[in-house]
Amino acid sequence: MEHTEKRLYIVILSMLLMMIVAGFATDGIIKTVVHIWELQYTRARLIQDFTVTSIGAALVNAALVGLIGLIVVFFSEVHLAGPTVASILTITGFGLFGNTPFNSIPIILGVWIASRLARKSLGSYSLIALFGTALGPLVTLVAFELTGSVFWMLPLSIIVGLAVGFILPAVAGSLLVIHQGYNLYNVGFSCGFIGLFAAGFLKALHSLDDLIIVWNTQNHLTLMLLIPVFAIYLIICGVCIEGKHSWNSSCKDFIKIQKHSGRLPSDFTDMNSIGGTLINMGVLALICWTYAMIIKAPLNGPVLGGIFTVIAFGGFGKHVRNCLPVMAGVIIATLVFGKSLVAPGPILALFFCTTLAPIAGHFGWIAGIIVGFIHLFMVETTATWHGGLDLYNNGFAGGLTATLFVAFMQWYRTNRPQEDFKS
Amino acid sequence: MKRKEFLSRLIGEISGYILESNPLRMVISLHQEEDGAHIIIFDDKIRDKNELQEIRKALNPTEKRPELAEYYGMMAGRDAAWDTRLKLVGWQIKKATVENNDSGTQIELWLGEDSFNPANFTM
Repeated sequence: MEHTEKRLYIVILSMLLMMIVAGFATDGIIKTVVHIWELQYTRARLIQDFTVTSIGAALVNAALVGLIGLIVVFFSEVHLAGPTVASILTITGFGLFGNTPFNSIPIILGVWIASRLARKSLGSYSLIALFGTALGPLVTLVAFELTGSVFWMLPLSIIVGLAVGFILPAVAGSLLVIHQGYNLYNVGFSCGFIGLFAAGFLKALHSLDDLIIVWNTQNHLTLMLLIPVFAIYLIICGVCIEGKHSWNSSCKDFIKIQKHSGRLPSDFTDMNSIGGTLINMGVLALICWTYAMIIKAPLNGPVLGGIFTVIAFGGFGKHVRNCLPVMAGVIIATLVFGKSLVAPGPILALFFCTTLAPIAGHFGWIAGIIVGFIHLFMVETTATWHGGLDLYNNGFAGGLTATLFVAFMQWYRTNRPQEDFKS
Repeated sequence: MKRKEFLSRLIGEISGYILESNPLRMVISLHQEEDGAHIIIFDDKIRDKNELQEIRKALNPTEKRPELAEYYGMMAGRDAAWDTRLKLVGWQIKKATVENNDSGTQIELWLGEDSFNPANFTM
């Protein structure tokens, strides 16, 4: 392991430890532990804000989910770099509203079984394994929400988790090709696809309730300070991580990162540097947090989860230049359709729409605004299709939008007469 | 992954790259053995040192990236409309050489199982 990668491990680990300390400090050790246990059997489908149960427990639960991700990356012997950091911080963010260790581990094991069958290492499928935890609510639903004895439903939920994990690599690989890497949350797209079948089956059994929004509207100091503290920490680490005199090159790399399209797979740590990437992550965090503060959005579990995902992909496809047009598209759509900027749908769409950032990065800001606009009304429709079973609902909606856009652009580009043979 | 599919993706991506410069001639040669394969592709375009170095860098990554090779490698050779990405090929092969010859550029790719040693290749 390289020296800089070791430091990156320290940066990510220290962020997770900060969340654990903040969690225990907010609610006390006993109350936090009790509520962490409660979260394991709490309904996890969209949108279930874990900070309503307990802010401390939500933070520690999220950090535990992130630690599982870090352990998977370490033991599967893949580099801790842009893609793996993206997966770890994304699942950490979703640990605030849906992911728990209980509902994540069976899916990871399912992907591991698929990797053994395909005679690959878990490392080869490590990103699918971690992002695949988006289907965690299905595990929780089978275990604790369906009628039946827990004695039977608990093992059944594990089997369901293993099964969806097992089929994920096949689905994720196939769906990646149809949008050509222009939707960053491809596994979210795949999980939504699988979620359609799961929801269809559950609806046939009359076992899937309507969606409920559990949404914390109370701002708490710990949650309000979490993002700016992490943002400043990431920027400082970015400036210092590659040695005493590296701040200048890290800042230059931050500028260079803005020139990439961000199309999958764009590992900024490899294309530029870890220092520049951490600065990019920190700056994106500050922009999102500032916007949330300006519009007076509640900084609850889902909103923080959204910002965490933007930070996460700051090393793997997102940067200021390709995110802002798509976010602008969502804001315009919100205002055009007369919705509130702080309502759950629009505020979450604003952060998660950056899954389409590569379209703005490649085709320009107008294309970014258009897909952002489309994304808002798509994402508010798709959650009901899979019954909220896919936590990365924006990845699912983004995949559909990206597929439509790419299909059109591909048709346009492959039918340009000036490139035909001359008659 | 089946050999046929794997080879077809790699050839698709690398030929896509060559075709971007609109050559008048492109030749692809494939030689397979039990544990590996050798692909040679050449065209009639002489490339400058910087471009050759960029191709070499993309096709010979300094580190193995199994998490990217297996998953995102699926996109190799599937995209004719936009820029080709030689890194998708680089992550999945053992070694590549890139040189200008008398008439154009020649790219050689060696691929195979972990045990495969290009030095033992019998052509």
